[in-house]
Amino acid sequence: MIETQNLTKTFDKFTAVENLNLNVERGEIFAFLGPNGAGKTTTMRMLACLVAPTSGSATVAGHRVGQDDDAIRSTIGILTEAPGLYEKLNAVQNLDFFARLYGLDTATREKQIKRYLEILGLWERRAEPVGGFSKGMKQKLSIARALLHEPQVVFLDEPTSALDPESAKVVRDFIAELKSEGRTIFLCTHNLDEADRLADHIGVMKKRLIQVDTPENLRRKLYGQRVMVRVREMTDAQMRALQQLNFARDVLRNGTTFSIALADPPNMTPLVVHALVAAGAAVQEVREERASLEEVYLDLIGTEART
Amino acid sequence: MSAARIVAVLRREFQEIVKSRGLLLAIFLPPLFITLIPLIAVGVLGRAIGSEPGGGDAREFARILELMPELRSWSVGEVAMFVILQQFLTFFLMMPLIISLSIAAQSIVGEKQNKSLEPLLATPIRTGELLFAKSLTAMLPALLATWLAFVIFIVAARFLIESDRVFDALLNPKWLVAMLALAPLLALLSVSIAVVLSSRVNDSRAVQQIGGFVVLPIVLVGVAQTTGLFLLNATTFLLGAVIMGVIDVLVLRLGVRLFQREKILTQWK
Repeated sequence: MIETQNLTKTFDKFTAVENLNLNVERGEIFAFLGPNGAGKTTTMRMLACLVAPTSGSATVAGHRVGQDDDAIRSTIGILTEAPGLYEKLNAVQNLDFFARLYGLDTATREKQIKRYLEILGLWERRAEPVGGFSKGMKQKLSIARALLHEPQVVFLDEPTSALDPESAKVVRDFIAELKSEGRTIFLCTHNLDEADRLADHIGVMKKRLIQVDTPENLRRKLYGQRVMVRVREMTDAQMRALQQLNFARDVLRNGTTFSIALADPPNMTPLVVHALVAAGAAVQEVREERASLEEVYLDLIGTEART
Repeated sequence: MSAARIVAVLRREFQEIVKSRGLLLAIFLPPLFITLIPLIAVGVLGRAIGSEPGGGDAREFARILELMPELRSWSVGEVAMFVILQQFLTFFLMMPLIISLSIAAQSIVGEKQNKSLEPLLATPIRTGELLFAKSLTAMLPALLATWLAFVIFIVAARFLIESDRVFDALLNPKWLVAMLALAPLLALLSVSIAVVLSSRVNDSRAVQQIGGFVVLPIVLVGVAQTTGLFLLNATTFLLGAVIMGVIDVLVLRLGVRLFQREKILTQWK
């Protein structure tokens, strides 16, 4: 649905995005992570035909960026970093204006405005000037604005920033619902938990794409898979028993807990437990260790900064 | 160009103007003052003038007659009233400048401050359509206000000016040319200046203050007329329209060059 090849953007002598190669499939949520100034928003703007690439190419919904810009703008919906609403106008007037720009007829406009204001819990406040809305309400209204024309591809820049937890959950649930409708979602975010929960694939970006994969694979690639076994009392015999298992790599001990790197945890964990019990251990807890996406992200960004 | 998208922008702009008290004052106050002051002057002058001038006034009177020999058969009162009304009519040309500058500044810098340009530019609207719609937003109220005020002034003057000769002279076609040709060019100049300034300034009041200097040439023309340096006639108006047309083209070209999606999003600070 979205494809880029060596997409590059430079501003004078500053390179904002360098040789970006991406492939986002139809109906998936692709989360774009990276520190401030990493080029996320510039990439989104190039894909939304707001700024022209310096070199490379990109297609969105089968349309080529730089050639079919009008078609792309009609096909996509975008939530920009700032809501950018007309504060003197009310919610309906704001949405009606954008619906007109997308060429919706009167009946469709009315239907869509009502639909999205109801979904996002703003219908009761529809006649109030937007200037009096909370940040969360403005953000929701901006999301409604991006979806009025039922775009196939939706670009969301920090959709839950500045939202209280309750509103953030409403928005996150709504994004998940959009995916279930078969839309492709390109999500720029700093919220790693959000990316972890929502995204099918995550791209970590810092001018260039450092890594792309599913959240789970990113963890595995960086941290491997580890199993934690807690025993009542740790002995040297137990340690020796683990070291004799040739598939148990990198055995670490901390208090009464072993942390063992395993290539195939489902099949190897029982063997580890068996060896420990045979060595006299009273096993109290066994669980798979998961690195947080935050650890993965910081590791990737840190590695990139050092290279 | 999509008429529907242009109308959509115009509709939204007018919805905002109606809700902006400051802008409404900026639209209605200049026509009110510029129309009322000359009418009051006509009413007062009609009663005050009549005696023969003396001293310095006599020399001034002689000079006016030298510049406008067609007035030699007129009374002193008629000549004085005609000259003063001519003077006030110059100020009608300030209206399209002031009003369209206020609206354009609010319309363009307002969107910039509000950060609403990015979502707007992400829609299928073309930058040409947006600029055209914003130009119309600023020019239409300014021109309608100018023309309406001018018509009101002329109609009211008909009742206040007793001399048919003065009124007929006031209805000189050169003023119609000024209103129909020069006024739109002046309004367009304001819009172009607002676009150019908007690329650098973040406050609509700053645009109005800086752009306000554009009325200076009109004021200077008025002063030059009062001091008898020259009198506005069909030729000077035609020349003014040509010069204004050239300036418009130059400033508009600069404005169009600055009003591009990428420049707006990445270079407008």
